[in-house]
Amino acid sequence: LNHRFPLFASGSLKSSGPIGAGLVQASRSLQTSSQSLAPVPPLPEYGGKVRHGLIPEEFFQLLYPKTGVTGPYMLGTGLLVYLLSKEIYIINHETIAAITIGTIIVYGVKKFGPSVAAFADKLNEDKMAKAQEAKDVAMSSLTQAIENEKKEQWRVEGRAMLFDAKRNNVAMLLETNYRERLHMVTNEVKRRLDYQIALQHLNRRMQQEHMINWVEKNVIGSITPQQRVIHKCFSDHLSND
Amino acid sequence: MAGRRAALKAIDWLAFAERVPPNQRGMFNALKTRTDAISAKLASLPETPAAIDWSYYRSAVAKAGMVDEFEKKFKALQIPEPVDTQTSNINAQEAEANKSAVAYIEASKARVATYEQELEKFKNMIPFDQMTIDDLNEAFPETKLDKVKYPYWPHKPIANL
Repeated sequence: LNHRFPLFASGSLKSSGPIGAGLVQASRSLQTSSQSLAPVPPLPEYGGKVRHGLIPEEFFQLLYPKTGVTGPYMLGTGLLVYLLSKEIYIINHETIAAITIGTIIVYGVKKFGPSVAAFADKLNEDKMAKAQEAKDVAMSSLTQAIENEKKEQWRVEGRAMLFDAKRNNVAMLLETNYRERLHMVTNEVKRRLDYQIALQHLNRRMQQEHMINWVEKNVIGSITPQQRVIHKCFSDHLSND
Repeated sequence: MAGRRAALKAIDWLAFAERVPPNQRGMFNALKTRTDAISAKLASLPETPAAIDWSYYRSAVAKAGMVDEFEKKFKALQIPEPVDTQTSNINAQEAEANKSAVAYIEASKARVATYEQELEKFKNMIPFDQMTIDDLNEAFPETKLDKVKYPYWPHKPIANL
């Protein structure tokens, strides 16, 4: 069980001072179910206020309406004087020891108390800062992880584009192939026809050349020796001039 | 020529490139270069070949009837379309990819759910300065001291202090 015992509950001023605190304590210890106080209110950071380190403030507030500010002090002084004079409390060696040790203790606490408290608080602060940092890192990494997962999901959605690209490639290849076939057919037919035409031209040319050669040969062969002599005389005659 | 001009789907390469994860960028670049090469080749071929001038050939070629025969056969010629062997493969691949993608998305969503659950737990935690040690042990079970295994203070191996 997790008992939370604020020593002097600062909120419960309805019941009278110290006795009231005890009652609150008792009632709290009987609450065993953990559901009634959820969410649990945070613990009070400071205990109830006390005056002179001993007497709770509620006592002074209690006596204020009847006796004013000095009332509790007069009560205290009267009590002390009564105890001393009637020798209900006897002064002995222990009294001197108590007074000196008390003085030293009070002086020590008053002087070094705050710095020791600050040191202890700093230890706690460091622990909490480390824990807080760990928590922050964890939270940020979680959000980052969630973002990454969402991004990956978005990426996956684009998978259709890959297959579209592939199908496009296939279609383009088929189209290219088909066009190549068309072109090939046309070119082949053209080549065949051009070959026929070239063949014809070649034939004609060969016939022409052959005929020319034949005519030439015949003409030259038919020049008789007479004509040759005349031709030679003409050429000599012309060259002599 | 029914299935000849299967319409090419316009692909937004920029959007595609965005969706590619960094570890598959090499494959994507290879695909893009291949596609560019193929489309360049396609663009370089004219759609129909140059028409054959039959009247010129009819007048030029001496052999009677040859040109007419050629012309008749040429016009009657049906060029077979190339057979498409890969599209069914691609469709099968796509179906498989869809299946695995669905499975991946399911797993991813489960992961996101766990992450969000943990995030909620962190968000709903009380601040550290209002916690007691018991609260801390509830929130982070790994901080709980095992008093059975290590019955003596500090309840954990000295090395872990």
